[in-house]
Amino acid sequence: MDQITIREPVVQTQPVKATARGVDVYYADNHAIKNVDIDILDKTVTAFIGPSGCGKSTFLRCLNRMNDTIDICRVTGDILLDGEDIYHRSVDPALLRARVGMVFQKPNPFPKSVYDNVAYGPRIHGLAANKAELDNIVEASLRGASLWEEAKDRLDQPGTGLSGGQQQRLCIARAIATAPEVLLMDEPCSALDPIATARIEELIDELRQNFAIVIVTHSMQQAARVSQKTAFFHLGDMVEYGETTAMFTNPEDKRTQDYITGRFG
Amino acid sequence: MLGYLLLVILIASALGYLFNYYSARRLTASGEKLHSLAGFHGVYAICLTGLPAFIFVLLWLLFQESVIEAIVAGGLSEAELAGMDEGQKSLLMAEIRSAAQGNVFGEPKPFMMAAAESLNNLRTTAWMALSVCVVAILGLGMFLARRKISAAFRARQAVEKVVSGFMIFCALVAIVTTLGIILSLVYESLRFFDRVPISEFLFGLNWEPQIPIREDQVAASGAFGWLPVLLGTLVITVVALVVAVPIGIFSAIYLNEFASPTLRAVAKPLLELLAGVPTVVYGFFAILVVAPALRSAGASLGIDIAPNTALAAGGVMGIMLIPFISSFTDDALNAVPRSLRDGSLALGATRGETVMKVMFPAAIPGISGGILLAVSRAIGETMIVVMAAGLIAKMTVNPLDSVTTVTVQIVTLLIGDTEFDNPKTLAAFALGLMLFIVTLMLNVLALTIVRKYREAYD
Amino acid sequence: MTDIPNLPNIDWKDPALAVRLKRRNGKDNWLCWAGLGALGAACLTLVILLASLLVSGLPAFTQTHVTLDFEILAEKVPADDPGKGKFRTIVRDAIYAHFPDITNRREKRALAGMISNGAQYELRDYVIDNPDLIGSTVSLRVPVSDPYDQLAKGLIDPQTPEENRRLKDAEIANFDALADKGLISKPLNLALIANADSRFPELAGLSGALWGSFYALLVCFLISFPVGIAAGIYLEEFAPKNRFTDLIEVNINNLAAVPSVVFGLLALVAFIGWFGLPRSAPLLGGMTLSLMTLPTIIIATRIAVQAVPPSIRDAALGLGASRHQVVTGHVLPLAIPGILTGTIIGLARALGETAPLLLIGMNAFITQAPDSVMDPATALPTQIFIWADSPERGFVSRTSAAICVLLAFLIVMNGLAIYLRKRFERHW
Repeated sequence: MDQITIREPVVQTQPVKATARGVDVYYADNHAIKNVDIDILDKTVTAFIGPSGCGKSTFLRCLNRMNDTIDICRVTGDILLDGEDIYHRSVDPALLRARVGMVFQKPNPFPKSVYDNVAYGPRIHGLAANKAELDNIVEASLRGASLWEEAKDRLDQPGTGLSGGQQQRLCIARAIATAPEVLLMDEPCSALDPIATARIEELIDELRQNFAIVIVTHSMQQAARVSQKTAFFHLGDMVEYGETTAMFTNPEDKRTQDYITGRFG
Repeated sequence: MLGYLLLVILIASALGYLFNYYSARRLTASGEKLHSLAGFHGVYAICLTGLPAFIFVLLWLLFQESVIEAIVAGGLSEAELAGMDEGQKSLLMAEIRSAAQGNVFGEPKPFMMAAAESLNNLRTTAWMALSVCVVAILGLGMFLARRKISAAFRARQAVEKVVSGFMIFCALVAIVTTLGIILSLVYESLRFFDRVPISEFLFGLNWEPQIPIREDQVAASGAFGWLPVLLGTLVITVVALVVAVPIGIFSAIYLNEFASPTLRAVAKPLLELLAGVPTVVYGFFAILVVAPALRSAGASLGIDIAPNTALAAGGVMGIMLIPFISSFTDDALNAVPRSLRDGSLALGATRGETVMKVMFPAAIPGISGGILLAVSRAIGETMIVVMAAGLIAKMTVNPLDSVTTVTVQIVTLLIGDTEFDNPKTLAAFALGLMLFIVTLMLNVLALTIVRKYREAYD
Repeated sequence: MTDIPNLPNIDWKDPALAVRLKRRNGKDNWLCWAGLGALGAACLTLVILLASLLVSGLPAFTQTHVTLDFEILAEKVPADDPGKGKFRTIVRDAIYAHFPDITNRREKRALAGMISNGAQYELRDYVIDNPDLIGSTVSLRVPVSDPYDQLAKGLIDPQTPEENRRLKDAEIANFDALADKGLISKPLNLALIANADSRFPELAGLSGALWGSFYALLVCFLISFPVGIAAGIYLEEFAPKNRFTDLIEVNINNLAAVPSVVFGLLALVAFIGWFGLPRSAPLLGGMTLSLMTLPTIIIATRIAVQAVPPSIRDAALGLGASRHQVVTGHVLPLAIPGILTGTIIGLARALGETAPLLLIGMNAFITQAPDSVMDPATALPTQIFIWADSPERGFVSRTSAAICVLLAFLIVMNGLAIYLRKRFERHW
């Protein structure tokens, strides 16, 4: 288990989905992210790794402007989605967040039925013209999150009644129900047991067919298992970014090497 | 007199402390190893002298007057009391009391003067007896405390036991108070139900609680059906909630979700200020500003509004309840985990959609608990309705009309009346009992809901 | 590898989405404005409440006086017992002296009505204090009666038809004549604080109510403070966790929510009926209020004691102190600011409490300030209630003024509590 399995390197044929140039984030006076440049590829899993407090989650939350909801947080620099500045005045965060879905550390299903949880996004954005369409979307999302078989008989029961792993897959289903282009995952397995974790990791690999996925994780094994590209964050800097295989076998930066070999973290 | 007695107790306690303290110190000086510090020996002496004496004085004073009066009343012969009902008897006792203080009006009968004299004599005797008892207790206590002094004596444990006893007693005060409320209300209500059948009280549709001045008066017996009073209470409560619930909930949502931190820092203390205004002030506000304003507004619209309309009392009560509802809603919204809010926002919901579709439904149990408590408050609220609502009970649900409430009736039935010997005053206690039961049930229900809800998210 | 079929293919540039978004944001704004409106309404009522009380109460802080020359004739005031003097006539003669033309008896009586009924007593007290004035003429400022006070403050409009106002044209003319002579003044209404209650608005004051409230709060404090602390500490530090202590807890929480009027009923039956305590006495009021303050203090004590970190307790216990010594020596001193804050808030609430005091007779008409906790008295809120109930117009502004005094006390007490909390706030 501890042995790090490394996938075959993916030939970089995928187009760039999102770009960050010179991004700085401040929490009041605290400089949390320092001048980060990165290109996120479509239909690829990108892992953000690094010691806790290094800013990887903060940077992730910049990609769907979730940091807007924190009063004291300030973001500068350019983040482009399909070449379009997401911090431009004409971009409404509500629509952006539908395009850039997010899954959180702890499963957070709403205290509603399974069906209503998944239908929440399509409903508020008006993505389904009628009940049949909505049913289709819900089923497709639940299938996509490989929860359909378990949940199809309990669609009208509260989502909070599911097991932890099921809840997290429900949250993934909820996020993909708006057909996002990018899926952000903030340590999606940290609250789950190993079996549930394995299922989510499998799912992530499947979902890669459809979305660009960015996953924050503190587990290097997980990063190695699921991702094709990896970015290493340290104290607000993005130290290194490259092919996962390359980074785990032959890190360029001393700090990356120390982290991967377990000197700190 | 009482002052001297307390002074004596104080001096004796101090003396007891010093005696024991120095005796203990002498033991140490003579080389013995004390179990407890000398100070504890001193305090132990106080526990044996001043404390029991003080408690004795309190108990004595609590019962002295009632016992003496019972003796005096018992001394009056049957012939003198012939043909008197409860009220006249207590009036007689009041006259005897004032005669004993030297205030003689008119030509008192000789037996009353005799009774007054015996009252005074008994009082003097009682004071003497009390003084003797106190001195005896103090002396005995000092003697016992002195005898206890020894190196092995666990004075600290003994003192701590007394302190623990005092603390337990204090904790019991809450239970005693509740018991006292229940006992006194039930006792007086039972006397009421002796005179008025309980079924008439509970289901009667007429409330005219007057006492007959003449035997042959029309409607001499009065009517004691509480339903119109209850209905009036409900009308005013509903008006209050119609004002308080939307304003309270919407302002809480705004403060919680939309307001800038500065506005929040200003608005919250303002709401608390609204909550700290005494209800008598709200009552005056209702009759000074709100009722006239409503009346003139009604007049300009061609609607006839009663001077003490339920709208004025209920509306002002609603203002009083706004901070209550708003703080409960605020707490309930804050108790909804932040992750739910984030989850909704991350799906592209606007702030409003997040509040209305996720936060608010999740907070409903907490909010409804708060509303239940507000209902209980509104039903039990007294001053606003005493000042601004009506006195006549009517079977009406029209808020423009004047209605009366349970608390208004309690206060008007009891103001100025000291004797609980007729259905009119006793009815107040029956109403009080109903009020206590209803509010107790609402409170228990509300607290249970709120607690369950807190547990759900902890 | 499952592909995801059926997921909608969404064109996020679709103008329909933008329209929909605009509508959604509009709803958002609507909610925001509704919330702001609700908050504004709540704050506005607070402002209206305070403003209306201030506006209606301000006139009562001054009192119209007239300065007259009183001839203290020796035949009217016996030098050996000046208290028996005929001051009523002296006062009347003093006002008649300004209007030699008025001889008609009815008009004379109306003229005498301009001076407050209290003037003769003020004059009497003044002469008793200075007996050597007998035989001379004294110039003294005395209050005018309520209608003229209202007139001077503009609350009676001379333009309204004569039959609709309380002062006739002739009476207003008399008053104006005195005003033209510069005899009318409007000094600060010291009587409002110095006097006790009176049937006459111009003489009524709050001293009885203030002392009554003071004594009642004193009794309330003396009972509820030690008992509340002891109960709170017992429940928090010593009580075993069993059904009995649960019962006590439930009881305390429920007591805090029992309607105040019920406590009045309890006092009526138990304190007056069973124990024979005197009605209307601050002692009785204080005992009743203490039952209502007790839950507040117990809860404040428990919160303050909980806030003391266990490490301090463990350290003291480790040094061999008994649990009692730990509590008295360490926990209590650290918790006392929090307890005091809670106590002051509880007392402030007790100061505004009215209903139970009405039931135990603290709404009596009492013209003398109490000298002890056993004397009959009123309290500040019950005095407000009495005045609000009085038909005389002059009591309206006095009620508002009394409310301003009450609110001032409440603000000072709550301010003190906030100061204490800030000053001793401790973060472990």
